[in-house]
Amino acid sequence: MGNGLTSDQPGGRGAEVTTAKDPFGQFAITVGFENARAVLAIRGEVDRVNAPELGAILDAVIERHRSVVLDLAELGFINGWGLGVLAAQAARHRRSGGTLTIRSPSAVVLRLLDITGVAEVVLLENLDPPHRHLDAEQSSEIAEALLGSEPYHLPSHVEKITAIPADIDVVDGALRLVVALARATVGGADGVSVSLRRHGHLATVAASNQTISDMDASQYATGEGPCVDASVKGRWFHAESLETETRWPAFTPKAQALGINAILSSPLLAEDRPVGALNIYSRTAMAFAPKDQELASVFAAEASLVLAGAGVDVTDEQLSSRRHAALATRRVIAQAEGVIMEREGVEADDAYSMLCDYSRTSNRPFRERAEDVVASTQRLRLGAENEPGQSHYG
Amino acid sequence: MAEISAAAQPADVLDRYRRNAGLSHGDLWLRYFELGGMSNAFELEAILCGALEPSPHDREVIAHALNERFVELGGNHPVPYSESDAKRRWEERKR
Repeated sequence: MGNGLTSDQPGGRGAEVTTAKDPFGQFAITVGFENARAVLAIRGEVDRVNAPELGAILDAVIERHRSVVLDLAELGFINGWGLGVLAAQAARHRRSGGTLTIRSPSAVVLRLLDITGVAEVVLLENLDPPHRHLDAEQSSEIAEALLGSEPYHLPSHVEKITAIPADIDVVDGALRLVVALARATVGGADGVSVSLRRHGHLATVAASNQTISDMDASQYATGEGPCVDASVKGRWFHAESLETETRWPAFTPKAQALGINAILSSPLLAEDRPVGALNIYSRTAMAFAPKDQELASVFAAEASLVLAGAGVDVTDEQLSSRRHAALATRRVIAQAEGVIMEREGVEADDAYSMLCDYSRTSNRPFRERAEDVVASTQRLRLGAENEPGQSHYG
Repeated sequence: MAEISAAAQPADVLDRYRRNAGLSHGDLWLRYFELGGMSNAFELEAILCGALEPSPHDREVIAHALNERFVELGGNHPVPYSESDAKRRWEERKR
């Protein structure tokens, strides 16, 4: 792909490099020049499919230019594979004495650059809002939460990240990340957790430590507490000081016994319905300033987005009826396969392929075509005409 | 970085179709299961991530589950079907 760069002279016009492999036409890299700097603008999605191409292009550009700018303003999506490429090239460029500038990363990408340590070896440009680096302790705490491993250094940790399949456990991983970020950035936060309603019961899916997990558990056990209320009522509950708190008489003494004096629970909403809560605990009474409450609601909104994207908002009843419908369809498809196998004298896979083909060419759902085939046996039994050679299916 | 430079697998493309279809892994698995898929949700994710090679039949079911979703969205079967032996035999029968 590096050979596809048609313009590499400073002052030359930008060269549009579009990858041929992308079936969606959404990934493109434009190479241009600003004074003595090479500027690569990445558009669209970077994932495992095109990360190698991004790597090859970066490689070619970095080879020839000391000062390289990566413009991420139009980057729609990047996963571990893409980040791995960025990290490797950033480290390489730094070692060879060049400067790599990352321009206009989104807030999320910026956080990821921080977590992976890439932010340390590149220059950052055109940030909105202004960027505040995490301190070393926060960085390592987030890294541990993300990877469940020791603090790490370039480039070995990059390999760990790229080794994580992009979407496996993405929900739990994202929630752990939200917990770690909230713990690191909300003033006064001594512990953070996320509770979710699953199968009709609240459960803690991410917590910064065992004490916090226990704190949640005692709320579920007593059926009261800010976490339970936020999860059920869908609004936030703030216990400024447990000394004077009267709303949860069974739970409050248990929390105080564990050294907690303030709690802030923000609801997690999916499709406007409460599905859980983001809980922030502090040992200090009146710990959460208005700015911190605002941050908490930002993190709760982030966690809500993660959940909505993962379909967690689907209720148990809806899921149950969908599974029931899926089983019914499977049964009809299996029956239709059996009918075709018998009529045509073919194997099950062949019968399936035939059904698939009917469905595609008629542009009707597979289930309906299978129902047609099953219904055709009914017509035969009732003595309906069946001309020799006439298709039973079409 | 050896893993990254490995040639792109078709399975990766399947996962991109999934994202473009706006389906979560759970959604796609349920649709795949409905159409007779035999792999569990974890195995399907592994297939989509390129960690597990699907059988030709599995590949066909996944492609069709995605295509039915694209038809719902107004598309026209954009996910290519694999050239399985079963499909080839069927094409021969049709002639």
